[in-house]
Formats: sequence, C-alpha cells, structure tokens
Amino acid sequence: MTAIHLQNLVKRFGAFTALKTMDLEIRDGEFMALLGPSGCGKSTTMNMIAGMENPSEGRILFDGKDMNGVAMGRRGVGFVFQNYAIFTHMNVYDNLAYGLRMRRLPEGEVDSRVRKIADFLQLSPLLKQPSAKLSVNILQRLAIGRSAIVEPAIFLLDEPLSNVDAAFRAVMRTELKHLQRQFRQTMVYVTHDQLEAMTMADRIAVMDHGVLQQVGTPLEVYNNPDNLFVAGFIGAPGMNLLKGELADSDRGLVVDLAALGRSAPLGPALAAAARSNGSRDIVYGFRPERVSLAPSGEGMTMPVVFVERIGARTVVHLGTDAQRVKAVFDNDVALEAGVSAAIAIEPGSVRLFDAASGHGIREA
Amino acid sequence: MTSLANPEKVSMADVALDDSLRAEDGGRRLGFLLTLPAQLLVLFIAVFPLLMQLYISLTDWSPLDGIGWWQAYELWNSFANYTDLMADSRFWSALGRTALVMAICVPAEFLIGLGLAILFVDDFVGKRVFYSIMLIPMMVVPAVAGYMFFMLFQSGGPVNDILSGLTGMNVAIAWLSDPTTALIAVMIADIWQWTPLMFLILLAGLVGVPEDQVRAATLLGASWWQRFRTIVLPKMKTIIVIALAIRVIENFKIFDTLYIMTGGGPGVATETISVYIYKVTQQDLIWGYVAAIALVILVALSILVSLAISRMNAAKGA
Repeated sequence: MTAIHLQNLVKRFGAFTALKTMDLEIRDGEFMALLGPSGCGKSTTMNMIAGMENPSEGRILFDGKDMNGVAMGRRGVGFVFQNYAIFTHMNVYDNLAYGLRMRRLPEGEVDSRVRKIADFLQLSPLLKQPSAKLSVNILQRLAIGRSAIVEPAIFLLDEPLSNVDAAFRAVMRTELKHLQRQFRQTMVYVTHDQLEAMTMADRIAVMDHGVLQQVGTPLEVYNNPDNLFVAGFIGAPGMNLLKGELADSDRGLVVDLAALGRSAPLGPALAAAARSNGSRDIVYGFRPERVSLAPSGEGMTMPVVFVERIGARTVVHLGTDAQRVKAVFDNDVALEAGVSAAIAIEPGSVRLFDAASGHGIREA
Repeated sequence: MTSLANPEKVSMADVALDDSLRAEDGGRRLGFLLTLPAQLLVLFIAVFPLLMQLYISLTDWSPLDGIGWWQAYELWNSFANYTDLMADSRFWSALGRTALVMAICVPAEFLIGLGLAILFVDDFVGKRVFYSIMLIPMMVVPAVAGYMFFMLFQSGGPVNDILSGLTGMNVAIAWLSDPTTALIAVMIADIWQWTPLMFLILLAGLVGVPEDQVRAATLLGASWWQRFRTIVLPKMKTIIVIALAIRVIENFKIFDTLYIMTGGGPGVATETISVYIYKVTQQDLIWGYVAAIALVILVALSILVSLAISRMNAAKGA
C-alpha cells in the first residue's frame, strides 16, 4: 500500500501537450478513478505512474520517493491492461506464477502462493486450462490475480471493462469493487464511463483536454461540479446549463433566462455568493432529476420539444433551441411534444457558474 | 431400441439426420466436380512425374539407350539401383557433407537473422536504408553470387587482402583449393545470401508479438532475457519452425552458388547431394540410378519435415 503524489506533472508529445501541469494526491489504499472523455490525458497519466512513459516535467512520488528513473519492473506496480494482456501461450497456472518465477522464488513457494490466490479468485478448477479461450470475467480475475500475486503496492487498471458487454459490466463492477476491498490496495482506475467511476471509486479525478478539472468523492463531483465541463459531463443526462443574467426582483435575486422567463428566486446564500462574484452573466444549472411539474401559473412555462421514454423513466426535452432543458420524470408522465409544461426546480439543487470563466459559484 | 420407446421423437431426429446427409452429399458431389480440373492439374504436375521417377528408378534406363522412357521396362532391374545406393560411399559422403553444411549454415543464418531482427524492431536513424541493404544478398542471382565469392576467395583476392590487413601478416590462403577452406568458403557464401531471408521472416514474427503482453511481463519484473525466453520466443514458435523448415529444405538442395565456386571440388570435398546427382546425371548419364537417389532423398526429407511440423503441432496443442 502506497500513496501516490503527482507533482506538477506535464507530458508533451512533440508539439502536443497531452497533460498540463497535473497535481494530484492519491491516498494510501484509495480507489481513485481517472475519468474523462478519450484524449483527455488519463491513460497518459496512468502510463507515467506505471513507468511506461516518462514525464516531460514534474515528479511522481510513491510514499514520498521520487520514481523518476525507476524502471517499470521495479516500481511495484500491478497493471491490468484494457485487453488484460494474458499470456495466451500459457495455462492459467503459469500466468499466475509468472511474476513469482521471474523473481526466482523456489517452486514450492510459487506453488503455494498460486494456489492461495487461485482459491481466493475462484480460479482453482481452471488452473490447468489454456488461457487462450477463457471468458472475459475469468480473464479479468486472472489479470488481477497475476498482478496481485507479486503484492504490488499500487494497482493500475486501464479501462478493464470497456471490452465487456453492458449486461456483464455490472457484474464485473461489483466483483472488482469487492476485490479492491479485500486487497486494500491503492488502485488507480482509468475510465471514460462515469457509471464505473461513480459506483466503484472512493474519489474521482475528472479530466478534460489534459487538464485536471475536479477531484472529489462521487457525490461531491455530482452535486457540486467545480465548472461547466464537470457539470455537463457527469450525470446522464448531464446538468442543464442555461445562459442567463442576474436580475433583481421584488422576491429577491433571480436569473433572467431570456426566452424561458425568469427563474425562481435564488436562496439567500447562493444569492449572496452570486452578488459577490461580480459579473451579471452567469450560467444557471440544475439536474434534470431535480425538476418536477408545477401547478399551472407557477414555475417556468416552456414548450415540450421531444419526449424520450426509456422504460424506468422518461426524459423530456423542453425549451427553445438556444435554451434547451432536459427533465427526468416518471415513466407515465402525461407530456407529449407540442404542449406546454410548467416546471419547478427543486430550490436547493440550483448551481450557478460564472459565464466567462466557467467556474462554479459556491455558497460561502 | 429407443424407437420402440418413443417412436415419434426418434423418427423426427432421423428425418433431420437424413436431410443433413443429403445436403452434405449433394455439396460433396458438386465440390468434387468443381475441383476436378485443379485435381487433374495437380495429378499431372506432382503425381505423374513422381510415378515416372519411381518407374525409371527400377530400371537401368539412360537417354543414350535409344528407347523412350516408357519402354524402360525392357531394362528392368527391380531394386538393383537401391541396393547399389546403399553401398555407394560417394553417395553417403555427399549426404553427410550436405548434412554438415546444413547443420552449420541453418543455425548460423537463424542466429544472425534473429539478432538482426531484434535490432530492427526498434527504430533507429537510417533504419530504412539499412533495411534495403539487408535484403540485397537475397536478390542477387545465385550464379552471380557464386562468381562473386569465387573472385573474393581467390588467393590474391579481397578476402586474403583484408585478412592480411587485419593480421599484419601476408595471408595467402588458397581458399577454394583446400578441402577444408573450400567447404568453409561455400558455407560463408550460403550464409551471406540466405541470412536476409531468415531476418525477414523472423522480423515479421517479432513484430507480431503482442506488445502489451511484453509490457505486462516487464511490469511483472521480467528482465529482457526472461521476456525474450518466456514471451517472445514461444509466441514466435510457429514462424521459427516455418523459417527453419524453409531453410532446411532449401539448404539441403544447395547447388548453384556452390557449383560455380568449386564445382564440388577440390576432388569431392564440397560435393553435396545435389552436385553428386548433377554429376551422375550429366556426366555419367545413369538416369535410373539418379531417379533412385532423388526418390530416397525426397522421402527422407519429407519424413524429416513432417516430423518437425507434427512435433510443432503437438507442442501447440499441449
């Protein structure tokens, strides 16, 4: 178990900067997810932690020790590849034993440790099987077991579930989280799937275009996004983000949303934060799940554009082309395209962002 | 038995079975008709000459006898050619020499080719140029290569000049006139010409080794040599067997370069099996005997190669 500290990490490939000054501390025993769209620099970060690539600037510390110049075989890092990289010419046993044999441990100890980990991962009946034709969940367990057997301080997982079909992914997620709890190792998990990050990680580091956007627990990131990117990226569908202007009304500070009318008055704390932010141009944000139908005459009235019924829930698209709102209702909601709907936004769920910088405006 | 217990079920199964058989049978007949021209062609290209060879090998026929080969039965000598062959010391020494050349040339070509392939996996400055240069020997016409090495190994030739320069002594080895050095010179020419083929095949195999598995091994603490031994070589096994099989077969038939360099001499010092066959055919004109030799070698080589391949398949299945 080891804490990882990334200090001002920068990675450039020629003229292209893949990672811009990243500072991140991953605690001992923590499950950290690096989340972001493809090309955001998450895999580059992971490869640098593993030692497969060298940082252009900055340092990587394991428990305070600088890893610069330490070969990847000596970092004590277990790596689970996207396609698992199982040695297909060996059977399950030899795959598990590989790391120990490379360390020239006596065959007796190798055998007992292989059997122990095979028991733990329920691979015992498969030990003699060739590994080329195993199913994906067994491959995953084998890949984890093969890394875990040499007791690495750190586990790195590079999108291990991206090759798995959706139904199976849920099973594997549960299994993976369960394994992490048992191993109690520091795990860094790279993914572009927010569901994986939300369900498994202790903390999530959201990245975009080589820039670390926000670090926090899944709920922190979901509830209080630091900026517009995180707000729009996290959640399915993402947060509604409407351009607006602060306006005073007799009921307090409201947001003028142009064609959509005026919002309900902001809470006192949020209003105070908005006033002290200075700029009147802001982005008004709220989660689609925090929207309900308002009695007529109340809330904001807007046209329904499109109704998406996805089984358990119904996603209703409202508003204008410039100011589009998504709202999630129960599946039997009686709305259809063409009608008008009055919606109310749960007061505590409103988030404001500075329109110019994109940063969140937090209550003091 | 079962049909009595549950006639309905079984009869349905029977119908299904009949249908599949009918379909398969019809397909088979059509397939046979469609491949018939190709099969006839193969028959005439491969099987017919083989039978002809077998037939002639059982006679004393020679083109000088004035009768067509199909009339060779008039000179029938049953297995005399084969019994002669067993007692033919020149044949056995040629065979032994061929095996010796093969035992030295093929491993040398393999090791040098593998080493070069490993160098060429990584990028370096001028790789493309070197790559093209590497392939030149293979493209030289063997007869030309033969003359080239004939010149190089003259006692006043460049090889001796270079050796003189290196050692500071006046080296004047008569390479091609001495039985031992002639054999060495012939082998050097073969290694020069055919290492590039080995290099090319092995490089293809090396590039095909999955990189993430090599990386995984590195992360598990394997050293370069451990990775090479446990990951790279096993992954390349098939291609190595193919490369070795090609070179073993080809090297066994070594002829053109060698013949131009030494003509099999001095004496019979570099007389390989092909040279021997050529001499018996062209100089002694005993074709029945040659047919017997060629057939014995064909059978021996076939057994050798199929053994190697079946062992490879067995290892793969395990």
